[in-house]
Amino acid sequence: MLHIDNLTKYYNKKQIFKDLTFSVEKGEIIGLVGENGAGKSTLLSILATLQTPSAGTLTLNDLSYNSDWKKIRKQIGYVPQEIAIWDEFTVRENMLFFEKLSWVKKTEEELRQLCLEMKLDQWNEPAHTLSGGMKRKLNMAISLIHDPTIILLDEPTVGIDLKSKKEIGSYMEKQAKKDEKTIIYISHDMDEIKSLCTRIICIGQDSFYKNLLQNAGKNVLVF
Amino acid sequence: MRAILHSRLLHWKHQIIPLLFWLLLPIIAIIGFTQLMNGLQKDSQIPVGIVLEEKTELALNLADKLDQSPLIRLDILEEEQALRQLEKHELDSVFIIREGYQDQIKKGSRNGLVKSYQSDLSFAYTPVSEMVASYVQEETSRMKTAFTVQQLSKQYELENTWTMEEISEKSKDIERDQNLLRTTFTFENDNEEQTNNSLPSWNKWGLWAIFALLSTLFLFDWVIKEKRQSMQTRFPFIRFSFTSYCLWNTLLYGGLFFISDIITLLVFHFLLDQPISLSKLGSMMSFRLMLVTGTFLLAANMRNRTTYYGIAFIITLLTAIISGAIIPADGIVNQFPIMKWLNPLAPFLNNELNNFWLYAFLLLIMIWYIRKEKSYASYR
Repeated sequence: MLHIDNLTKYYNKKQIFKDLTFSVEKGEIIGLVGENGAGKSTLLSILATLQTPSAGTLTLNDLSYNSDWKKIRKQIGYVPQEIAIWDEFTVRENMLFFEKLSWVKKTEEELRQLCLEMKLDQWNEPAHTLSGGMKRKLNMAISLIHDPTIILLDEPTVGIDLKSKKEIGSYMEKQAKKDEKTIIYISHDMDEIKSLCTRIICIGQDSFYKNLLQNAGKNVLVF
Repeated sequence: MRAILHSRLLHWKHQIIPLLFWLLLPIIAIIGFTQLMNGLQKDSQIPVGIVLEEKTELALNLADKLDQSPLIRLDILEEEQALRQLEKHELDSVFIIREGYQDQIKKGSRNGLVKSYQSDLSFAYTPVSEMVASYVQEETSRMKTAFTVQQLSKQYELENTWTMEEISEKSKDIERDQNLLRTTFTFENDNEEQTNNSLPSWNKWGLWAIFALLSTLFLFDWVIKEKRQSMQTRFPFIRFSFTSYCLWNTLLYGGLFFISDIITLLVFHFLLDQPISLSKLGSMMSFRLMLVTGTFLLAANMRNRTTYYGIAFIITLLTAIISGAIIPADGIVNQFPIMKWLNPLAPFLNNELNNFWLYAFLLLIMIWYIRKEKSYASYR
């Protein structure tokens, strides 16, 4: 499904990561961990076609990132770390707004169902009145309107209550198991990583995360 | 386009009050300003009462002449009422045109034709009485001339004889044609001289253009609001790039402004007696397109809304001062002829379609679009 081969990234002359090689299959949930500044968000941005790598090749469903990036974008659901919603809009209006601009047409009922699956039921509430957890769910729901095959999440559960975390986690599991979506996400919450992920990619030289996760019996890939 | 319209309608739904306020501001401001100026002009006129003891042609002519003066607010009253109002200081002065006024004028008599009253608070009695005296003098001189011409034609037994009225009318025609004391005052878009006797008026379209500039600048703050960094990450995963989203929305705003401009034309025509013409409509559209493109370019290059609003006010103020739209700027234009060419309002005020700034802004938008499209696309 997603193949990454010798991926390298430099900012100016500073190396962020070098020779990352791994593949991700359908239905997998991959956790990206590492200390701050290790390059997790950069890697996610490259996977989301928002940045170009300095070297290496990437393919998604046999489509090359170099030549087919426009087609690839239609298959990606990118959930940014910063909440990107219209605060003055209701949940319904936010969903409708992005549906209108989306590649995929959906009915209002389908959009509502998408929110309900995430336990986001304040359909007619203005976004600015939602709790942090609900805003995160809306942020995620918007990114999934066009039915992406791969979901990339940048710390989707940061700063929210445990209940909302569990609900988002359950939703991701369901997406991976039932709908065979590939999920790659960044988190600093090791409990969440351990309980949700099938595999973990550890970026950076620090062995702290590697030891922590291997002791938990997880398949950890270290770069 | 429908998708953009639907998404924009969602925004407009939440901004309906500021949207309507800024769209209607230029019209409301002009109507309000017109009312204010009319009120001020009326309040600044000197209240003068006139009593007509006879309603002959010459007496009515005198009253009419006084009434036409922009400095006088004339009330035709009965003597008793006029004097009562003078006592209450509701009138500055009262002039009574005595019985036999016309006959006395025709006889060439100038004494005791008009009786006048003033109060201890009359501040304009002297100039008004001099004005009345000059009108009476003018009339008696005209009659005396007519009498002299008739006498001469009898004395020299001319074939053509003229009535007093014919000679009087001819005299008025000559006076009109050879009026050496008339001066002219014109605005940027006024090609014809103002021949009426009113006080210097102000340019309604010029003032509208300034308010239209301000309202366009303020309505285009959506560009800054919607280009925030977090929202930028959405655009690669929807049908529209941020640049095309912006341009489509600019087009929608242009359409909205166009509707408000049509309403403005109609309001100006029916309420302010301004003519509607195709050239006005064309120049208005060209002016609006220039405003929309220029404002979009400015907003697209700004990050901070407070700074943007500050710049919007400065641009509006500078344009108002140097464009000649409100205050005549002949001095600046005469000294720096390039100003006429650079003046963004001049083509609109002169009902012209071609606008240098419009072409410049369109070119800059094309460059902006091509550059931004390249920079947003990570892979090429």
